[in-house]
Amino acid sequence: MRQDFIKFPLHLIVHPFDSFWDMKYEGKGKLRVTLTILLLVVISMILKDQFAGFLVNYNDPRHLNSIVQLFTVVFPFFLWCLSNWAITTLMDGEGKFKEIMMATGYALVPIVIIYTPMVVASRFMAEEETAFYYLMMSVASIWFIGLLFVGIMTVHQYTVLKTVVTMLLTVVVMGIVVFLGTLVLSMLQQITEFFINIYRELIFRT
Amino acid sequence: MIAKKWLLAGTVASLLLSCAAPAPVHAEAVPYESYNYNYWEEAVPAPAAYIPDRTLTGKDLGVGDFLDPADMVVADSGLIYIVDTGNARIICLDSSWRVDKVITGFDNAGKEETFKNPSGLYVNDEGNLFVADTDNGRIVVLSPDGELLRMIEQPESDILPADFKFIPVKVTVDQAERVYVIAKGIFEGIMQFDENGVFIGYVGTNKVKRDYTEYIWRMFSTKAQKAQMALFVPTEFSNIDVDDKGFLYATNIDPGSKEPVKRLNPSGEDVLKRFGYFDVLGDIRYRMSVGPSKFTDIKVLPDGRYSALDANQGKVFTYNDEGDLLYVYGGKGNQTGTFKIPAAIEYAAGSQLVLDRGKGNIVVFKPTRFGSIVNEAVGYHYNGEDAQAVPVWKEVLKLNANYDIAYIGIGKSLLMEKNNKEAMKYFKLGLDRDGYSVAFKRYRREVMQEHFGTFLTSVMLLAAVWIAYRIFGFWRRKRQSRASRQAPHNLKEGNAHEAGFH
Repeated sequence: MRQDFIKFPLHLIVHPFDSFWDMKYEGKGKLRVTLTILLLVVISMILKDQFAGFLVNYNDPRHLNSIVQLFTVVFPFFLWCLSNWAITTLMDGEGKFKEIMMATGYALVPIVIIYTPMVVASRFMAEEETAFYYLMMSVASIWFIGLLFVGIMTVHQYTVLKTVVTMLLTVVVMGIVVFLGTLVLSMLQQITEFFINIYRELIFRT
Repeated sequence: MIAKKWLLAGTVASLLLSCAAPAPVHAEAVPYESYNYNYWEEAVPAPAAYIPDRTLTGKDLGVGDFLDPADMVVADSGLIYIVDTGNARIICLDSSWRVDKVITGFDNAGKEETFKNPSGLYVNDEGNLFVADTDNGRIVVLSPDGELLRMIEQPESDILPADFKFIPVKVTVDQAERVYVIAKGIFEGIMQFDENGVFIGYVGTNKVKRDYTEYIWRMFSTKAQKAQMALFVPTEFSNIDVDDKGFLYATNIDPGSKEPVKRLNPSGEDVLKRFGYFDVLGDIRYRMSVGPSKFTDIKVLPDGRYSALDANQGKVFTYNDEGDLLYVYGGKGNQTGTFKIPAAIEYAAGSQLVLDRGKGNIVVFKPTRFGSIVNEAVGYHYNGEDAQAVPVWKEVLKLNANYDIAYIGIGKSLLMEKNNKEAMKYFKLGLDRDGYSVAFKRYRREVMQEHFGTFLTSVMLLAAVWIAYRIFGFWRRKRQSRASRQAPHNLKEGNAHEAGFH
């Protein structure tokens, strides 16, 4: 328990090359840990928007919505995994879908461990000190991207250049998926409307 | 019978009571929307600050209808001057709206002269009239009695082009008797003349904004196309006013400008304070059909406030000296209190007067309770009497709990009194992050000073406990290891002994 949930993720964020290797070939890392991390990311995002100090919190409290925040984290996560899986299947990636999910999920750990303490710290900051808050927020993002890069590279056994290209392509595929999704949804809507209209016609005719 | 009597009495009593009960209090209905912008740039309804009190036309005054009146000035003496452009006359009213005199012309060394399309006027401290006699191309200076003192005509200077034609539109004079003139077709700024009418130079040129799309477009255009394009020229000023420190307030009508209002210091730099949540440019949210605000006149009010008149929407925007929007009133329409073509705004004894060129009338706006207490509080704050402003701001908040400036005002006063914790609360309500930061820093230092001893003691105590724990652990481990080192020995011995025994 402690090994899976605490020790391995913490070891991973400082030793990404070894740990992602272990994850792929030694069977370390668990899907339920990934999902827990995802949940923690959502919670830390909500905490940040709700409780970050007044001087760094520019959110309009009337428009805060935790459900929306849940989807703004969870939906892109799965979209990324799906798109990456789709593109790497075509580009000789060795990773399985599960491995992609785990690599992405474990890469999110720095966000959890930096955001929450910074939210607490930001409540004790004056305006000059908020630069430190923004610095740490950027560190979290850069760390995340670095880990994601190493993760994808190890999982698929790619070269550096190929990883970069794949990641960029993944973003493009994400856009295409969203486009197709909206297209299908709107067509479905029109089809249902069409059938509903036929049904209405039939009912009112008789 | 008795029951009937009682019933009747009851009916009468109830009727009387219903009549005696005070009529439901109506908010005094105004034909325009009153609002203010909040931190998130949303227009939030607010109580009306000014309501139309009366309307005066030329007929009401007994001088015949105004024809395209272009300017209006209230002198320090309380006299009100109206430039009736179409009729080429200046009407002078006393403070109770009786006609004092009508100036149609003046005596120029025995020759009777008249104005031609005058469109600007200024009255200085001594009561001398400076008339921008537009189509005659001159500034006429008259004494309070209407005698000609001097004239400023076609200026001569090396920096002026040879075919230059002087067409003054608006005029203002500062304490040093320098004359500032806005002239037609002059893009270089406001023309400045010394007390003898000699042209000195320009002040406060509007900056040319470079539009990058236009710039790129230009790169691909032919010479003929370029010639047809609009030139990059600065915009003209629309009006000027001068405050009691000798700073010029000027408005321009550049449609895309972020700085339609300028406060120019004597060397011509813009020193307007813009510390509000948003720029000093009138409406920040508008429909494209209505367009951004286009200021045609500006009036400096007491206590650092100033009102700008928006001709596009017929609204008056009033700001305090720090650039916070205080209130908005007016609108376009045909009712009393709305305008057709508003041309000039003035201030007389607490009321604001707006001259409507289209309708040819003057509307007098008097402050409501809300307007007057906002003015009062702004005045206290401007004069540094923040403590006195607090009860007034609290009164303002009773009338409009969405008035952010009041929260900030109270916060500032509390900050002065070193009541930092309360100040933090009010700054937070007013969403003033800078003020909050200052208050918070002081509060944090206070708390630290108060609790530093306790904090340090507990840290020392914790450290002592931790060290003790480590020493104890070390000692125990040492003893254990010694014991375990001995134990196998004994065991071996024991085993051997046992083995040997068997």
